[in-house]
Amino acid sequence: MTTTAPITTSAPTLPQQSRRGVQALERYALLLITLGVIVFFSVVPPSSAAFPTINNANVVLGSNAVVALVALAALFTLVSGVFDFSVGATAIASFVLSAGLQVAFEMPLWVALVVPLIVSGIIGFLNGLFVVRFKMNPFVTTLGMATLLSGISIWFCDGKTFVLPADSPLIGFGSLRWFGIPAVFVLVVVVAILVWYFFQHTPFGRSLYAIGSNASSARLVGVPVDRNVWATFIISALIAGSAGIVQLGRLGSATAVDGGALLFPALTAVFLGATAITPGFFNVVGTVISAIFVSIVVSGLTLMGASSWATNVFNGVVLLIAVGLSTYLGRRNRVGGR
Amino acid sequence: MTSSLTAPTAEPGSAADGPLLELRGLVKRFGQVLVLDGVSLIVRPGTVHALLGGNGSGKSTTIKILAGVYQADAGELRVRGEPVDLIGLGPEAADRLNLRFVHQDLGLFDDLSIAENFALASGYPTRSGGVDWRRLNARVDSLIAAYGINGTPRSTIQSLRPADRTLVAIARALQDDESGRSIVVLDEPTASLGRRESAQLLETVRRRAAQGQTFIIVSHRLQEVLAVADDFTVYRDGQVAAALVGESPTEDQLVSLMAGRAVTALAPTGSTAHSHSEPLLALEGIMVGPLRDVDLVVHRGEIVGIAGLSGSGRSTVLAVAFGRLSPHRGRMTLDDRPFAPSSVRAAMDAGIALVPEDRAREAAFADLSITENLTIAVPHQSRRAGFIRAGLARRHATDLIERFRIKIAGPDALFASMSGGNQQKTVIARWLQRSPRVLLLDEPTQGVDVMSRSDIYDIIRNSTGTQNAVVVASSDLGELHALCDRIVILADGRVVHDVPTETLSIDALTALVLTSPKNEEGSFA
Repeated sequence: MTTTAPITTSAPTLPQQSRRGVQALERYALLLITLGVIVFFSVVPPSSAAFPTINNANVVLGSNAVVALVALAALFTLVSGVFDFSVGATAIASFVLSAGLQVAFEMPLWVALVVPLIVSGIIGFLNGLFVVRFKMNPFVTTLGMATLLSGISIWFCDGKTFVLPADSPLIGFGSLRWFGIPAVFVLVVVVAILVWYFFQHTPFGRSLYAIGSNASSARLVGVPVDRNVWATFIISALIAGSAGIVQLGRLGSATAVDGGALLFPALTAVFLGATAITPGFFNVVGTVISAIFVSIVVSGLTLMGASSWATNVFNGVVLLIAVGLSTYLGRRNRVGGR
Repeated sequence: MTSSLTAPTAEPGSAADGPLLELRGLVKRFGQVLVLDGVSLIVRPGTVHALLGGNGSGKSTTIKILAGVYQADAGELRVRGEPVDLIGLGPEAADRLNLRFVHQDLGLFDDLSIAENFALASGYPTRSGGVDWRRLNARVDSLIAAYGINGTPRSTIQSLRPADRTLVAIARALQDDESGRSIVVLDEPTASLGRRESAQLLETVRRRAAQGQTFIIVSHRLQEVLAVADDFTVYRDGQVAAALVGESPTEDQLVSLMAGRAVTALAPTGSTAHSHSEPLLALEGIMVGPLRDVDLVVHRGEIVGIAGLSGSGRSTVLAVAFGRLSPHRGRMTLDDRPFAPSSVRAAMDAGIALVPEDRAREAAFADLSITENLTIAVPHQSRRAGFIRAGLARRHATDLIERFRIKIAGPDALFASMSGGNQQKTVIARWLQRSPRVLLLDEPTQGVDVMSRSDIYDIIRNSTGTQNAVVVASSDLGELHALCDRIVILADGRVVHDVPTETLSIDALTALVLTSPKNEEGSFA
């Protein structure tokens, strides 16, 4: 005789209206904090001189673009319940490959755009092959892939820095502004809208949330789990690859650098994003806001004269808080406290 | 008809000084349902005591109370003559009373060695800070010899045969019991074993009992129990139907004690006389897993029940029809056309639906909303011009919530916030919205409260029209009897009985299932 005690549906102790208020506050808290941080850096002396300028806004939004794209890449696999640590290294590989093709091999621009994206797609395909087909642990597999890619990138650069010619159209795009807004940021917004549409309004996108929630159940409602997760790795790598090209456009030169410098702020953005808009769930809007938030704080701290270690400390602390908070919110939702 | 409690004749248990465990007047309610109504269990030392009864008779609940998992509402317990606080009995207290439990899923670490499995339960012996492997292996070696396990301390569990795994679990439960004073409760120890394997295991149990160890065995397999047990306690509907001490009952006697007079608390099947004779889904000579040659025809408008002891392959039949498993041999037809689904998706597209047995692991999206849990099976339904309309999906979910009387705060509430019964209704609604041709249900009311249970039966009956069919696999024979038009009984990888429910009392059904032959190569001559 098996009898489960009925789980009581959450008893709302607060009156309906104030509960809604609390929920709304929770959804938009991150946005409010971001605005608060902007005001803070604009008013408090050391940074107040340089922070609230158009130039600085451009720096913030521009540098945010690459992190935001890598974060959107990481979002795909995290929603499906899989970790992909190779997105940062994939972006760097695409970054140096595109520069090398243009500078060392003197290839036309379209080749330098298409080949890195094809290579990125292959990286995603291999990740999927290992994780989905060979059932290898995604955590370790993608960490191995990241290490491998960073090694190959260093070999490819051979200690050199590939400097694009000053009249390269890629640099032109990297510094282009439309109505004072960096074009790369507009690109991020366009990609974010596409990703949002994908997650919110396509059966494929919804199926990824189902897979992340319970892969066995998803399989038994006819979701092609393996195929979808595999596709997720490829899409994720393609977005990461384009992030690398955007980075090249912004910097104008490339050398093999650590992919972790992109990966960890991106993970911070995704996890912090899960505390907003739809608390407890990874989501696109929250991810983009978080990426902007992180960029603003880093810029503000720099302008206040903080040392470079402060950025790492800040990113680390925010990542820990974000993971803790989104776990707590998720757990609370699971027991029905919403 | 109760307790023919003759004074223990001093044959198997030499210690004549009273029972080792004495449980009297045990009462347990779940909500308003009286599960145990003053049952008793008296176990003599050095005996093998069989605890028998159908599903829902209360034997598992009794075991769980002794293990400290459930708390009794009333009753007295004496162990070795000492009164024990039964109401406040928890897992640690049960352990201190030397009550040891070996559950059906053995709780072994499959990748680790026998020695490590022992050490993880009792602690690793150490020498100057490190693990003293020599001492551990020596101790485990002697246990392996004592229990006749085929293996060495270094063999991994997964390299062992099933009977040896069970023996490891028993030996592990008893490893610190030098005195042999503890009572070992074995819950369905032979459910996953073949006949020869069971014999090996029970032989060891018998031998240990002869050395003074006391066993309580919960089992459905009467032939085996008869071969090994000294005493029998038979439960029925939360009461003791009989306590046989030192007797040798026949199988038929036990079956009639267990089945008793039918007490159907469940409404019998409604007047809807189905049984069109047009076949809808047919399986021919299916061979895979425990199935060796299964023929089964499901007709339009029919509710077919699949019964059989655990391990008989009830769920496997459903898995084959739902495209989860491809049969090695045999074929299926749907509407007289060949049907060989290569995937779950293909089976779904052909109009098959499955409500799996393990709701939490195979059906739930616990942290998603009820709307998402429902729409996942119809992903294109709420989509207009390339956008999923949240309002449309929610309205659709609200309709289903009302239609299936799911009790929930609203369509945005999380799946996990519902009771088991409402979760199950949601999973059934998920599939019925697709109007399946064949709805397959595996243990449809497991972990479901009584009220939801009758709701679910209504839902299943009402969903069965003239063109579709339902197949229910269940271990609850009362459920099958109340719900199905026809019941097939699986045993030995085949359908051994195929009977219309109306020709059969629930006792007769119980008897058919209990006396069905057991799975094993060549055992069904």
